[in-house]
Amino acid sequence: MQFQIVRRAARPRLRSRNKRYSLSRYSAWMGFLFILPWILGFILLKAFPIFTALGYSFTNFRMLQPDQTQFIGLQNYITFIHDPRAWGSLIRSINYFLLTVPIEMIAALALAAIFSSDRLRGKRLLRMLFFMPSVIPAIAISFIISGLLNPNSGWINELILKPLSLPGIPGRGNFFQIVLALWTIGPGFLIMLSAMLSVPREIYEAARVDGAGPAARFFLITFPMISPAVFFSLVINMISSFGGVALLDRGLPYSQSLSPMESYISRQLFSGEYNLGYASALAWVMFVVVMVITLILFYSTRFWVHFPEEESNEEI
Amino acid sequence: MKKSSSRRQDTSTLTLRLWEFTGTSMLNLFIWIALVVYLSPLTYMLVTSLKTASQMNDAKAPLLPSQAEMYTYNGKSLLVYYVPTSTGIRQLALEEKHIKYSLFVDPADPQAGLIRWDGYWGSLKHVYHTQLTLANFITLWTTVDYPHLLRNTMIVIGLGEIGVLCSSIMVAYGFARFRLPGGKFLFFLLIGTIMIPDSIILVPTFVLFGRVLHWSGTFYPLIVPQFFGSAIYIFLLRQNFKTIPRDLDEAAMLDGAGPLRILVSIILPQAVPTVVTVALLHFFNAWNEMKMASLYLGTRPDLQTIAFSAQSYQSIGFTPEALQAAALLLMVIPLVVLFLSQRFFMEDMVIASVEK
Repeated sequence: MQFQIVRRAARPRLRSRNKRYSLSRYSAWMGFLFILPWILGFILLKAFPIFTALGYSFTNFRMLQPDQTQFIGLQNYITFIHDPRAWGSLIRSINYFLLTVPIEMIAALALAAIFSSDRLRGKRLLRMLFFMPSVIPAIAISFIISGLLNPNSGWINELILKPLSLPGIPGRGNFFQIVLALWTIGPGFLIMLSAMLSVPREIYEAARVDGAGPAARFFLITFPMISPAVFFSLVINMISSFGGVALLDRGLPYSQSLSPMESYISRQLFSGEYNLGYASALAWVMFVVVMVITLILFYSTRFWVHFPEEESNEEI
Repeated sequence: MKKSSSRRQDTSTLTLRLWEFTGTSMLNLFIWIALVVYLSPLTYMLVTSLKTASQMNDAKAPLLPSQAEMYTYNGKSLLVYYVPTSTGIRQLALEEKHIKYSLFVDPADPQAGLIRWDGYWGSLKHVYHTQLTLANFITLWTTVDYPHLLRNTMIVIGLGEIGVLCSSIMVAYGFARFRLPGGKFLFFLLIGTIMIPDSIILVPTFVLFGRVLHWSGTFYPLIVPQFFGSAIYIFLLRQNFKTIPRDLDEAAMLDGAGPLRILVSIILPQAVPTVVTVALLHFFNAWNEMKMASLYLGTRPDLQTIAFSAQSYQSIGFTPEALQAAALLLMVIPLVVLFLSQRFFMEDMVIASVEK
C-alpha cells in the first residue's frame, strides 16, 4: 500500500514497449498456474474451514462422540449469550485492542518522526536496536515482567519505588500488555519511517518558506503524506492484537493467546470436553467482531487516509 | 561601520551554530537514553539466568548475581550474617541456631570462641559477594537434549522455509506479471485473508489434520500449510516484483525464455533483498511458533521444538526462576544474534521501497 507512492515518484514510466512481447502474451491460464498454490491454500485452509466452522456451530459436535452429532440450530449462540465468561473474554479482547494499538501507533509514529531527522547519528544501529525486541517471544517478555514486578525482589520495587518511598505495585495489571505493546512497534515503525523518508523534500522547503512551524509541517504535510503507511501499520497491529500473525509471530499457543477470546475458545476445545460445536460458534462470534472492526477501519480511511491514485493496470 | 556589522553577523551565526549543536546533541542524548530504558528489562533475564536458585529464594539478597558467604569452622561450613552488636554491625558465621539467641563465630578471629547474640537469627541478612554462575546452563544442558531440540526446530524451519519461499515467490510473480481475469478481486481476497483471525480456522483444521489425515504427533501440520504460500509474504514480494522494470523480461522473452525461466534468471536476482527479508521473517516466526506446535506435538516429547521446551519450562509449577531465565535465554539468544548479524532485513524494509 505505502510502496505505491514511492514507486510512482521515483521510477519514470516505462511505456515504450512492444506489446507483443510482454508476459501477458501468455494466456491467463499460465498466470493461474503460478497463483495456483495460493488458490488451493485459500480454499483448503481458509474458505473451507470458515464455512465448516459455521456448519459445526449449528451442531453439538464433540470430538469424542462424533456419531452423536445432531443439528441443534442456534442453541450454541444462545448458550453464548448466557455465558458471562465468554462475554467477558470478548470484551477483554476488545479492550486489549483499544489499549495496545493506540500505544503502538503513537510510539512508532513518534520514533519514526525522530528518526527522520537529519541530526540523528548512528541511525542504522539505533534502528536495529529499537526493532530488536519485536522478534523476542512473548513468553520471555511475560517472564521478565513478572520478575520485575515481584513484590519481594522485583527491580521496579527495589530500584524505583522504594528509594522514592512509593507504594509497591500489587499485581501485574496492564503492565505486561503495555510493555508488550511498546516492544511490538518494530514493523509499524519501519513502515512509517520508510514512508516519511520518501516524502519529497521540496514540499517541506515550500512550507518553511510559507512560515509553517515543525508541528504544522508534521500534521499538515508528513501525516497526510504517510497516511497509507499509518493505515497499513494500524491494520498489522490490529491483527496481532487479536492473536493473529501479521508480520512477526510472538510465539504464544492458543491457550495463552493475547486475545482472551481466543484462549477461551481453545479452552472449550481441549479442557476434556472437545466441544467443537460451541467452540466454532464462539469463533464465529469473534470472526464477526473482528470483521466489523476491520470494516470500520476501512470505512474510516475515507476521512483521514490519502491513498495515491490507483496505478492503472493497463501495463500488465 | 562595515566591520561592526560583519562582526555582528559572525556572532549571530556562531550563536546559531551553538544552538544547533546543542539541539543535535540533546536529540542524540535523548534517543540513547530512551534506548537504554527501552532495552533495560532484557537485562533482568540475563542477570537472573546467572543467579543461583538459593539467591532467588532469599528476599533480602542483592539484585546482582551473588553467592552467600560461607565460613568453614571445625569442618562445618557456616553461613555468614550481618549481626548488629554493640560495636557496630559485624560479619559473623552462625554456629548454633536457637529461637531466643544464637551462637556465632567471628571468621576474622576464630580463636575468640563462640559469641552469643540475643535475637532471632532468621531476621538477619546474609553476607553476599558478587559472583556469576553458569550452573543453570549446565543443569539445562544435562537435563534437556538441546541438540535434539535444535534438530527438530531446524527440520520444521528448513522444510517450511523451502515451501513458503517457493510458493510465495511463484504466487507473487503470478500477481505481479500476468493479466489475470479477476486478478484485482483475487488480490483483494489475498489481502483479506491476512485479517482472518486464527481462531476461526482452528476447529476445522484441527479436525482435518487430527482426525481426517491423522497428522497429530507429526511435523506435517507445521510444514505442509507453508507450501500454499503466506498472504503477507506474497504481498511484500509482489509489491517488490512490480518495481522491477519489464524491459529485461521482454528482452529475455525475445530470446525465447519461458515465464519460469524469466522468474528464475531475471526477476529473482533483482529481488534478493526482499527474498532474504521474507526468509528471515519466516525464520523468526517459525522459531517462535507455538500455536501449531502445542496443538499437534503435545503428545510427542521427542518432536518438541526449542520454543516448545522453553514454554513447558514456564508452565511447570516449581521450576526455579533462574532455570526458567536460562531456558528462555537459550531460546532468545540465537534469534537476537541472527537478527543483529544480518544485512538485508532492516535495509530492505526501509530502503528498498524508497529507492526503487
